Amino acid sequence: MRTVCYLAHCLLNANAKVDEGARCQGVHSPVLALLRDHGCTIRQMPCPELAFGGTRRFWAVREQYDTPAYRAHCRRLAEPVAAQMRADLAAGARVIVIGIDGSPSMGVELTAASDEWGGRPDKPRDEDYPVTLGAGLFTEALLDLLSGVVLGVRVVGIGQDLFDYDEAAELAKLDAMLGGAAGDAG
Amino acid sequence: MRGDVRSRRVVVVPDVVVNPPDGASDRPSDVALCGWGVVALPPSDLPADIAQPLVTAAVDQVIAFLDGGYEVALLPCADDPGMHRFVAALAASGRTVADLA
Repeated sequence: MRTVCYLAHCLLNANAKVDEGARCQGVHSPVLALLRDHGCTIRQMPCPELAFGGTRRFWAVREQYDTPAYRAHCRRLAEPVAAQMRADLAAGARVIVIGIDGSPSMGVELTAASDEWGGRPDKPRDEDYPVTLGAGLFTEALLDLLSGVVLGVRVVGIGQDLFDYDEAAELAKLDAMLGGAAGDAG
Repeated sequence: MRGDVRSRRVVVVPDVVVNPPDGASDRPSDVALCGWGVVALPPSDLPADIAQPLVTAAVDQVIAFLDGGYEVALLPCADDPGMHRFVAALAASGRTVADLA
C-alpha cells in the first residue's frame, strides 16, 4: 500500500519557522531520510503562519491567532489539502499527517495556549512558552474538513517547537507510525 | 535562546523533484546538503480546482520570503506543467524569481 505523508511546511523549509525557531538550515534531513527509507510519497502542506504573519513574526500562542480571519485563512489553505487527501484515500493510499507539536497552528497533540501571552515579545520562547495539550488551528481546520474520512488518516506531531525536543525520540515515534503503529486521528 | 540556523535561501521545486521516479536522483537531499529550504509544488496531474489554490498558496509564501529579504530561486524544470503554472501565477502577482544557478 502506498503511504502518502503530508508534511508541515517547515519540515522541508525551516525558513518558514518563527523568528529564532529554525533548528536546521532548510530541509530537515533526518525526517526526509526516514520518509525515503519507508518509500513514502511526500506532500508539503502550506504554512498558514508564514503567509499570514510573514517571516518576522514572533512565537505567538493560539489565542493570538484565534480570530475569524485567521481561521478562515486556515480553512482556505486546508480545503485543497483535504481534497488531495480524500483523493489519495480513494486511490487506496495510507495517509499520514505530520504536524509540529508545540505550534499554535500545526500542533497535533501539543499546541501553545495562554490567556496572558502577548504584548511586547521580551521573553525568549524557550523560557516559559506555554505548551498545552491540544491541536493547532490549522490542524483543527484540516481534521474538520476530513470529517467522514478522518478515521482513515493518521496524524503525528514532531515536537520541533518544544523546548525539550528530543530528535531521536521524535524520529522513533515517526518511524513507528510509518511502520504501521497506532495513531489514528479519531 | 537557542540559535536560529535558517539559511534564508528557498528553492521552489516541482512535485516530481520531491517524489522522484525510481532510479532518479534525490534532489531534495541534494539541496538540503546545500542548506536550501524547499517549497514543493503540487503534482502536475491534480485537477485544476485542487491544484490552483495550492499554487496560490505557494505564491503567497514565496512573496512572504521575497518581502522578508530571503533569496528565492526556481529549480529549472522547463517542461514541468506545475512549474509553468507557478511561474505564471507568480508573474500575475508582479513578481519574478530566477532559476537556481
